[in-house]
Amino acid sequence: MLRGPGVRAGTGAALIGALVVWAALLGPLIALFAHLSPAAVVSSLRQPGAFQPLLTSVEASLLALAVILLLGTPLAYLMARGRLPLPRLWELGVILPLLTPPLVIGLLLIFMVGPATPLGGALGHLDLTASDTFFALVVAEVYEAVPYYVLGAAAAFAAVDPELERSAAILGDGHWRAWRRVTLPLAAPGLATALAVTWARAMGAFGAVLIIAYHPFGLPMQIWVTLQETGLSSALPFALVLLVVALPLPVGAYIWSARARRRL
Amino acid sequence: MLVADFELARREFLVRIDLQVLPGERVALLGRSGAGKTSTLEALAGLLSLSRGEIHLGERRLSSATYPAADLPPGRRGVGLLRQNPGLFPHLTVLENIGYAKGVAPEVARTTGERLGLGALLGVRPRGLSGGEAQRVALARALQTKADVLCLDEPFNSLDRPLGLELLELLRRELESSGTAAVLVTHRLEDAQAFAHRVAVLHRGTILQVGDPRELVLRPASREVSELVGYQGWLVSGSQTMAVHPDLVHPVEMEAAGELLARVVGAIPQGARIELELEAEGRWRGRFRCRSERSAPLGALMRFAAPGAPVYETGVDRDGG
Repeated sequence: MLRGPGVRAGTGAALIGALVVWAALLGPLIALFAHLSPAAVVSSLRQPGAFQPLLTSVEASLLALAVILLLGTPLAYLMARGRLPLPRLWELGVILPLLTPPLVIGLLLIFMVGPATPLGGALGHLDLTASDTFFALVVAEVYEAVPYYVLGAAAAFAAVDPELERSAAILGDGHWRAWRRVTLPLAAPGLATALAVTWARAMGAFGAVLIIAYHPFGLPMQIWVTLQETGLSSALPFALVLLVVALPLPVGAYIWSARARRRL
Repeated sequence: MLVADFELARREFLVRIDLQVLPGERVALLGRSGAGKTSTLEALAGLLSLSRGEIHLGERRLSSATYPAADLPPGRRGVGLLRQNPGLFPHLTVLENIGYAKGVAPEVARTTGERLGLGALLGVRPRGLSGGEAQRVALARALQTKADVLCLDEPFNSLDRPLGLELLELLRRELESSGTAAVLVTHRLEDAQAFAHRVAVLHRGTILQVGDPRELVLRPASREVSELVGYQGWLVSGSQTMAVHPDLVHPVEMEAAGELLARVVGAIPQGARIELELEAEGRWRGRFRCRSERSAPLGALMRFAAPGAPVYETGVDRDGG
C-alpha cells in the first residue's frame, strides 16, 4: 500500500469531496424535516379524504409492479441470456421510455391508448379507458417505471453463471425447475434492488400521470395540486407521506440484498 | 452399453466419433487441447446437438441428428458430467449440493458426503471450500445421479498433482464399486493409464487409435499417436521416421552392431534418473531422449538399442514396430 504525505492529502481531499456529495444528496431530505412541524403534519393529514391519494398511489403502484414483474422478468432473463433475435432492438425498446421525458411519454400514450385510438377503443369495450382513470394511472406508472426493473433484472440474471444452469440440467432439472432452484435464488439480491427502485419510480411517477391520469389523484398529483392551491407548507406533509411510504421498501431491499450478496 | 457414432460440426474441423463403452468400463479419450474432447463429452451429456449419427445407451436412443427434437434432455439420459469447474451452487450448503439431483434422500447424500471425507463440511457453503474440497463435493454430487455413464472432463486438472491423483483414485474406486461406466477426457497419458481400461487417442476430431493403455505406448499406430503417448524423438532415415520413447531406449555396448549411435548433448536430472539428450549419428538423424540410471559426459559417443521402436513411412503412417 502506498504511504506518504501526498497520498494522505489526496485521501483527505477525496473524503471531503465525498462528504460534500453525500450532504448535497441528503440536503433536500434534511430541508424537508427542517421545514416540517409535527402539528402541520397532523393538521394536514386530519383533513377529510387526506389518505385517499395515498391509497390510490399504493394500489396503482402495486398493480403496476405486478404487471412489470410478470412481463418484465421473462424479457429481462431472455435479454441477459442473449436469446432474443436482434438484441439491440429489444434493448432500445426498453431504454427508450427511460430516455424520453415523462411528460412526452404521457403525450405519446394519448396517441397510443387514448379513447380516440383503435387500441383505446378496444380497451373501452373492456371498460378500461386510459384517460383520467385508475387504469390510466397504472399504465402511466408502468411506462415510467418498467425500464428500471428490466435493466436491473437483466443485470441480475446476467451475473448468474449459465454454467450453473447447465449443471442443474445435467442433474435432472428441466428449464423451469433449474430457473426456480438456481437462477432465481442467485439473482434474487439484484432483483430485489431492481424491484425496490421500480417501486419508488412507480410511487413517484408524475410526468406521464399528469397528462393521462390527472384524476384520480395519486400522492404526487396531490402534492402538485396542494402546492398550486394552498402553497408549499401545505404540500410538505404529503411529500413526507410519499417518502415514508415509498422509501422503506427500497431501503429494506437494499439492506437485504447487500446481506444476501455477502452470504454467497 | 453406450454406442456413440456421430459427427459434430466445428469451426476448424469435423469431430467424428465412433466409440462403444461397455457397462462398468472406463474409457479415456486422450488428446491435446482443442482436439474435440470436451465437445464429445458435451454431445454424450446432451448439451450439444449432433450433425450426423446417433448415440444409444442400451435400448434407448439418447441423441439423433435426424430427429433432434426427440433427443433426451441432459438430466434424463443416464449420463452424468463432471467438469474441471466444479459448478457448485453457491446458495446451497455442501449437503444440499450433494443431494441436489431429483429423488436423492438427505440421508443418502449425507452418507455419500461422509464416505468421500466431507463429513465436517456438510453444513458449509461452497465459498468456504478449497479447490480440492469443492471438486470432492462435485464428485459426490455427480455420483448421486446414479448415471449409467459418467463423463469426466479433466475434473482434477486444476488441482495440485498429488491431490488430483488421490481424487482420480477415489473416483476410480467409487465407479468400480457402483459398476458405473465412465469416459474420461484428458491430455495426460499417466491419468488415462491410471484410470482407464481402454484409451482412445483423439486428434483434430478423429479417433486415431483405441487400445489397452500399455499397448498404445508400445505400439502407437502413427506418428501423431506417438506424440501423444510420450515419445520424444523422431529420427529420420530416407523416407522413414522412427519414434523413440525415452523409457524404451537404453544404452548398449559400443561393440553392438546395427544399433543407434548418438552423441550426448545434454543431461537433465529427472527424479532418481537422468534424462540424456542425444544427437543421433549414422543412419538415423535427429534428436531423442533416454531416461538412464547413469549420467554420461557431454560429447560422449554412445550406442543405444530401441527394441520394437515404431517406424513410419513418411507421408504414409503405419505401424512398423
